[in-house]
Amino acid sequence: MYIQMAFRNLKRNGIRTSLAIVGIIIGVMAVASIGIFGANLKATVLSNFQNITDEVLVYPAYSAHVRHGIATTSGITYIDKRTAERIVRLPYVKDYAFVKSTFTTVKYKNTVFGTTVYGMDENSVKKMFNLKSGSFRLLGSCIVGYNLADRLNLRVGSKLDINGHVFRVSGILKEAGARFDVNPNNAIIVSLRDFDRIFNLKGYSFIIVWVKSLKDVQLFKESVDKTINSREKKVDVFELKIIIDQINKTFNFVSNFLMAIAGVSLLVAGVSILNIMLMSTMERTKEIGVMMAIGAYRTTILKLFLLEALILGLIGSVIGAVLSLLGGYAVDMAILHSIKYLFSLNTVFYMLEGMFFGLLTTLISGFYPAWKASKLEPLEALRYE
Amino acid sequence: MMSNMYAIEVEDVKKVYRVGDEYVYAVNGISLKVKKGEFLCIMGASGSGKTTLLSLMGCLDKPTSGRVLIEGIDVSKLGERELTEIRRDKLGFIFQQYYLIPTLTAFENVELPMLLKGVPKKKREKRAMELLRIMGIEKAANRKPSELSGGMQQRVAIARALANNPSILLCDEPTGNLDTKSGKVVMDLIKEQNERGVTVVLVTHDPDISNYADRVVKIRDGKIVEVS
Repeated sequence: MYIQMAFRNLKRNGIRTSLAIVGIIIGVMAVASIGIFGANLKATVLSNFQNITDEVLVYPAYSAHVRHGIATTSGITYIDKRTAERIVRLPYVKDYAFVKSTFTTVKYKNTVFGTTVYGMDENSVKKMFNLKSGSFRLLGSCIVGYNLADRLNLRVGSKLDINGHVFRVSGILKEAGARFDVNPNNAIIVSLRDFDRIFNLKGYSFIIVWVKSLKDVQLFKESVDKTINSREKKVDVFELKIIIDQINKTFNFVSNFLMAIAGVSLLVAGVSILNIMLMSTMERTKEIGVMMAIGAYRTTILKLFLLEALILGLIGSVIGAVLSLLGGYAVDMAILHSIKYLFSLNTVFYMLEGMFFGLLTTLISGFYPAWKASKLEPLEALRYE
Repeated sequence: MMSNMYAIEVEDVKKVYRVGDEYVYAVNGISLKVKKGEFLCIMGASGSGKTTLLSLMGCLDKPTSGRVLIEGIDVSKLGERELTEIRRDKLGFIFQQYYLIPTLTAFENVELPMLLKGVPKKKREKRAMELLRIMGIEKAANRKPSELSGGMQQRVAIARALANNPSILLCDEPTGNLDTKSGKVVMDLIKEQNERGVTVVLVTHDPDISNYADRVVKIRDGKIVEVS
C-alpha cells in the first residue's frame, strides 16, 4: 500500500513527475551511451592490434653501447649475429624474424628520395605482409611498400638504385596497418644478404620474436635477462603487450572523462528532482501533519518520500538504459560506422552503470526533501497554510 | 490506582507562544480531568486557547509547563516514537477540515492508521469495511475524498479515527464546515461512539453542540471560566 501511495503521489502532478523522469532518462542515456561508445571505440582500435600481442621486439641496448663508447652514431648499433642466434634459440620462442634497417637515399629514374630500407628474410616478409602484385622473391630484387609504389608510380619490374646497387622490383605490398616493428608502406625491403652487401652491417637492427603464448612474454623476457644480459645489458626487450595496455588505459581514461561530462546532465536531473520533491513536501505539509497525527513515525514519512524518489529513479533509469542502446547505436554508426561491438557484455555493463548512477542521483536528491518532511512538527504541519 | 479513573488529566498546564517580542499565553494554567467514558465539551471563542488545549491533550504539542496524562501515563516524559504510538493506538482525531489524504479512497483512508500500526491486510480490510458500514457510507468506499460531500468526508474521518479502536476521541469543531443536517448526523455518530464507552473531548463554539456533552468547560484567554 505504501508503494501504491507513492505512485499516486507521483501521478498527482503528472507533468512535473514526467519532466523529472525525462531529466533522469537523458542523464542516464548520456552516461550509458558514452560509456558504450567508449568501450566500442576501444574495441575497434584494439582489434587492429589483436595479432601482435604475442609479439616481442628485441632491440640492441643503446645505453650499454654508449657506455662502452661504441655506439655514438646510429647505424652501428646492432645485435651481433652470435647474440641473435642465442636469443632465438631460447625457450618460449615460437618464431622469429631478423630485421636490419637503415635510412638511405634511393634513385628511381631521375628522382632521388630518402627512404627506409629493411633487410629481411623472404619467409618473414611472407608471414607478415600481403602482396598486391608481383611475387615475394627477394634474391637480387626488392619488394616495395604500397605508398612508395603509389607515389613513384612503381611497377613490378621497375628498377631502383639503392646506394649504387640496382634492384628490380619483384613485388608491391598491400597497404599495411600501423605496426610497431616494420612499417613497409613507405619502405623498401631487400634480402638480408643484399642488405649486408649494400650497407655492410654486421648484425641485426632488431629481432621480432613470437612467443608460444601470451603468458610466455614475461618468461621470455626473464630468460633474456638471465642469459643474454647476464654480464652486460646487450639487448632491450620490448613487449607490444605494453602498448595494448597503454591503449587500454588511455581509452579507459578518455571514456571515464567523457562519462563524467555526461554525468553533469545527471547532476542537472538530480537538482530538478531535488526541486520538485521540495515543492512536493511543501505542498503536502498538511498531509504530512495528518499522517503524523494519526500515528505515522518520522521514519515512515522519510521512507514514503524516499520511495517516491526511488520510483522516479527506477523508471527514469530503466528507460534511460534501454534508450542508451539506441544512443550507443547512433554514436557508433556516426563515428565508427559499425555496430560490431554494440551487443557485448561491455554494453550491458555500461547500461547497468548508467542505471546505478541514475538511481544514486535520485536517491541523493530525494533524501534531503524526505528528511525535511520527516522533521516537520506535527502541529505546525497541520496548521500550515 | 486513582489515575485509572481518568482518560485525560491536565495539571496546571501552560503553553506560551512567542509572537515577535511578546509572549502569548495560549493556555494559562488549566487543570482538568476527563473521566473515562465522559463526553466533555470545551467551548470558547476563537483565540480562547481551546484548540491549543486539545492539541496538548492529543500529544501533538508539548506544554511549556505542567503535565498531561493519558490514561495515567505522563506524556511529557515520553519520546517521539512513544508519543506517535499513543496517538496511533489510544487517540482518534477528528478535524474541522476532515484532513483526509486526497490520493487515497475513503476505504484506504480508514485503512491508513491500521497500516501505520502494521495490522495485517485482511484484518485491515475487514475493519475498514465494518467502520464504513457503521458510518453508513459503505457505498462510497472506493471514492476519493474530492468526490464526497463534506458530511460524508467527515464520516470517513470518524471511521478513520476509530480504526485502531482508540479509547479517546478528540474532535476539533467537527461540524464547523457542515450544514445543520449533516452536522447532526456526524454528532449522532460521535455520540453513539461515546455511548459505546469511548471518551470524547470536543471543541466547539456552537452552543447547540454542547447539548450532546455530559459536561461543558468554557475557556477564555487560556483559562477555564465556567464549568457546567
